[in-house]
Amino acid sequence: MQYAYFLSCINESMTKEVDRALNLWKKDLGMELVNLEKGTCCGGSNLDYVSPNHFIIINGRNLALAEQMGLDLATSCSTCLLTLRRAKHILDTSSEKREMVNAHLADEGLYYGGTSDVKHLLWVINEDYGLERLAVKVTAPLRGVRFAPFYGCHILRPSALLGRDDSAAPSSLDRLVEALGGSLVEYGSKNKCCGFHTLLVAEKQSLTMTGNAIEDAVRSGADYIVTPCPLCHTALDAYQDKALAGRRASRNIPVLHLSQMIGLALGYSREALGIDRHMIAV
Amino acid sequence: MERREVSFRIYRYNPQVDRTPFYDNFRIAVEKGITILRALNHIKEHLEPRLTFRAFCQAGICGSCAVRINGVSRLACTTQVWDLLTGSGDETILIEPLDNLEVIRDLVVDINPIMEKLKRNYSWIRPAIPEEEMGRKEHIVSDEEFETINASSDCILCGSCYSECSMMAVNRDYISPPVLLKTFRMNNDTRDTFACERLREVTTDDGLWDCTHCYKCTEHCTKKIPIMDGIHRLREEAFERGMTQTKGARHAQAFFDDIRDIGRLREVTLPLRTKGVLGSIGMVPLAVRMGLKGRKPPLLVKRIPDIERVRDIYSRLEANRGES
Repeated sequence: MQYAYFLSCINESMTKEVDRALNLWKKDLGMELVNLEKGTCCGGSNLDYVSPNHFIIINGRNLALAEQMGLDLATSCSTCLLTLRRAKHILDTSSEKREMVNAHLADEGLYYGGTSDVKHLLWVINEDYGLERLAVKVTAPLRGVRFAPFYGCHILRPSALLGRDDSAAPSSLDRLVEALGGSLVEYGSKNKCCGFHTLLVAEKQSLTMTGNAIEDAVRSGADYIVTPCPLCHTALDAYQDKALAGRRASRNIPVLHLSQMIGLALGYSREALGIDRHMIAV
Repeated sequence: MERREVSFRIYRYNPQVDRTPFYDNFRIAVEKGITILRALNHIKEHLEPRLTFRAFCQAGICGSCAVRINGVSRLACTTQVWDLLTGSGDETILIEPLDNLEVIRDLVVDINPIMEKLKRNYSWIRPAIPEEEMGRKEHIVSDEEFETINASSDCILCGSCYSECSMMAVNRDYISPPVLLKTFRMNNDTRDTFACERLREVTTDDGLWDCTHCYKCTEHCTKKIPIMDGIHRLREEAFERGMTQTKGARHAQAFFDDIRDIGRLREVTLPLRTKGVLGSIGMVPLAVRMGLKGRKPPLLVKRIPDIERVRDIYSRLEANRGES
């Protein structure tokens, strides 16, 4: 199991613990990640507004770098996932765009042929590694712990580009929680928007979205929220106090990254997994 | 003919009589091939004549029968009961009115807010042909020109995207997906002459840049229109027309600049560049608390190796733009 690993900007800065946790346990699963050091920021669903050509060339380059290694590209950020898959879809369906991109990549000795797939870490674990195999590796089952899985948007929608889950009733993260021995709560917000992408543009409205999701998880009796997206994590954890201000939520709720939840089940300590870095104490 | 007993759990509310909404259960035998609308008609005709819902064409064209079916906004007339059955013993289908709109009665919602927003945002073509010459002169739209707006002109204003929209759920003043889609559709019609003003009207507060990019509109469009693509295109148009003095546009510009300068996002100054100095002051307490937890973006982000290659791409594109 070898992948090119896309370095997400937020995981290089505010949510460093995502990769820290992943790097602890990846060897336990025989997973090898080759960091895409020369890769750039994907543009976070913003670059294309300024210039669609920059968006497609920059991400064509990111994809070509993985292709040069002969590897699929894995990421731990749902927005990077969608952005890269959107670029891939455009390039795979337009020979004109592919030629334009390749003309720009030739200098660097790169070529986009469309041979590398783009996958989220959750898909890598569920599909490539397999939950049955993972369950055998669990040394500290998360027994008795109730999780509210929060999928967020960009790993689900648009399903035409992502298509692993039924976006109205997703289950891939639920199945992972169960494979690790944890239990699930039912709540309505699992596939809703966390509000992150408009936090700097329409803060009040975005925080209402964030607060609604958190309150829903608290009401469901969950011990933790777990999310595959560091942007959702930032909204749900770092902004939690702000989002709950003036609400009647009875308590805070800690939020785990996907990579931390797996790390806990594989027996790593909270400190090692960087859980003490969260704004909402565990 | 295959038949099965199915329960319909239906939202009921008559604001003139009921203090709060409630749900009624109706258990009926349904044949394979029956739509949700046929089931609702059956219930109204045989079990509860007061049950109120809107419907007309029964062919997915008029857009009047959109309701939430098992929590998802869809057209009752194109949704097959059989497709919703789980195969488990007790089959129950939940039917509720569209979200984000006031309920008039049971499954009927007031769609006036959508109509008002469409009116306010000039959701029609303003042609170059003067009024007095209308009907005398043709303005031909070529197949190729129409292709750009082909999908978006399929909109039947059923309100499903309005009901599903994440931003609508927290801000009823938000412009909403169907209105943005119409803006895209009119702005890209070759007969129209009003694009700039129309776009200016949507690049205000509660407008184009407030879309949270959740893709719910696209995902649940009953006519499979890629609504988000239209919203994307409008944001691009805002840049093309130089309408960049908004928080959303400044935010996007920061990504563009940072990729050119260092290859990665400089998150530490992102709020400042998006919201300006005054707008960012409110973020200081949280930034300090995050800093204490070690959750601070680095002040200096390391450039990616081979950043020159990325800058070459930018330079070439800049030169191309100059030429064209």
